[in-house]
Amino acid sequence: MINRWKLPDLGVGLGLRTVHYRSILEHSPPVGWFEIISENYMHTAGKPLYYLDRIAEQYPLVMHGVSMSIGGTDPLDRDYLGELKKLRDRVQARWVSDHLCWTGVAGKNTHDLLPMPYTEESLAHVVQRVREVQDFLDGPIALENPSTYVEFRASTMTEWEFLGRLAKEADCGILLDVNNVFVSSFNHGFDPNDYLAGIPWDRVVQFHVAGHTNNGTHAVDTHIGPVIDDVWRLLGKARAQAKSSILLEWDAEIPTFEETWAEALRAREFVADLGELGEQAKTPEVTS
Amino acid sequence: MSEARLDRKPAPDVGGAQEELLHERASATPMRERAERAHVDVDTSAIAGAETLPAVSAPLRSLQEWFAAVVTFPASLDDGSAMAEWPVERVLTRGPQLSARERLGVYHYAYRARLVECLIDDYPGLNYAIGEDAFDALAGAYIVRHPSRHPSLNGYGQHLASFVRDEYVTEAFSTSFAHDLARLEWALVEVLHAAAAPTLSLEALQAVPPTQWAGARLPKADTLRLLRFTHPVNAFFQAFRHDKSPTIPSPEPSVTAVYRHGWTLWRMDLTPAMARVLEALFAGATLGEALGKIETDESDEASVEEASRNVMAWFREWVSGGFFGRIDVGG
Repeated sequence: MINRWKLPDLGVGLGLRTVHYRSILEHSPPVGWFEIISENYMHTAGKPLYYLDRIAEQYPLVMHGVSMSIGGTDPLDRDYLGELKKLRDRVQARWVSDHLCWTGVAGKNTHDLLPMPYTEESLAHVVQRVREVQDFLDGPIALENPSTYVEFRASTMTEWEFLGRLAKEADCGILLDVNNVFVSSFNHGFDPNDYLAGIPWDRVVQFHVAGHTNNGTHAVDTHIGPVIDDVWRLLGKARAQAKSSILLEWDAEIPTFEETWAEALRAREFVADLGELGEQAKTPEVTS
Repeated sequence: MSEARLDRKPAPDVGGAQEELLHERASATPMRERAERAHVDVDTSAIAGAETLPAVSAPLRSLQEWFAAVVTFPASLDDGSAMAEWPVERVLTRGPQLSARERLGVYHYAYRARLVECLIDDYPGLNYAIGEDAFDALAGAYIVRHPSRHPSLNGYGQHLASFVRDEYVTEAFSTSFAHDLARLEWALVEVLHAAAAPTLSLEALQAVPPTQWAGARLPKADTLRLLRFTHPVNAFFQAFRHDKSPTIPSPEPSVTAVYRHGWTLWRMDLTPAMARVLEALFAGATLGEALGKIETDESDEASVEEASRNVMAWFREWVSGGFFGRIDVGG
């Protein structure tokens, strides 16, 4: 299934990390696309943008933010959205994503992806804010399911019900992080297959995979280390439902570019129709 | 004057921790790899009691205010919970293996850890100089005084130097040295993020007829900071960068230029004579006035001699380093 906005399948990509800048610029590796953390290139006019512009000349970019606070109850930050829009236009980002979460209250930013109570009130609130953001950005955004470590007693629906209804009612995209599905399922004791069964696949525009740390009592979304096979298998099931772009996130103890990219290409072992796409997607413009 | 300061060779500030200035500090990666179970030192029967009480059903705003108050509470999560409107167990569920309080502890830990890591990224020299424990305590106090109010963490540490000088009381380290070092390290962050703009070239300088030099003005480039210190912090920082395990130096005045040129950051110590000329120029003086400063301000014959001997070399070096935004002649 192709998503309802016809956003392109860019193949396999990597989260752009500073330690790989030089390798990427020197060797132009055949990565399908890169995802950037939007805020790392906002509120700066210097060196980070210098690198970003050079990489944007060679690769499709997608922007992934962490500070929209779409579930927050402070007013939407119009200055932030304006900067986001400017960056999107500068690097010609294929789409913009953030997380189904809130990041702070009363003007204070915790810089964390804080969990929502899944209630009718929350849903109506987030639907309204997504519509406002999409109007402002003049296009759909995608929201990612974050890893969560708590659940609210006030919740009246599951996360996947909430996410599915949000995507339909606000007409927004889903960035389905299958590692987060796995981590949250471990922390809360649900079956990740139930999660996948509740996803409206025509809204899924992108997948995330990543490593995590299992502390025994709880799993933590650390983005460290290789992706475990259970998570790859979840990706395989999900990707069978939605032919959307795949991205590996690796954020701590980051290995060489070659090792990181080799890990991303493991997607081919678990995704039936991927073939050599990951290495051929250098110029992934969709032609019809 | 220390030997290190006499060696005025500009030092490129590359590699090592410098590249970490471009760290994905806004990353979605939670700082939870060291997360442990939140310490629970409460009456467990009270927790069990709270779990049987009705769930809190409150507006989203109230739930978020409660959540933020507990996870950003500077002391323990239990203390934060005790101060909050509802016990944790009335708001959150128990998980398969952890209590509601232990689960919330993951967020409580992550909040502080993430901001401390951001400060360590920006102040690696200070973290080394005063030691990890003292830095952690300083960072903790800073986080309470200056919670982030911005979508980006790029500017989060901007108040650390003034905070350590004006508000932080400690006997663990010299706050005047820490203030100096924090200013140096923050200047590197500022220069890294400064907008790229044209700087004066040697060709443009040489195109100015010598008869007009005395009246020329040379405004500062945006990618340069000129800093006066009470300690030789650049020499200390340089030794730190080269893994030479420096010890905190005794007070001694120093002046350092921090600048970006060709996308590389540089640090360079300046002699007193050089500093006086540059400070005068950046304050708007003409070149003639700035050079005259050396002769009128000081009865320092060495400085006068140094200036007369080296002034052309100085300007070549400064212009090559992109110190000036442009040259304004006449008017």
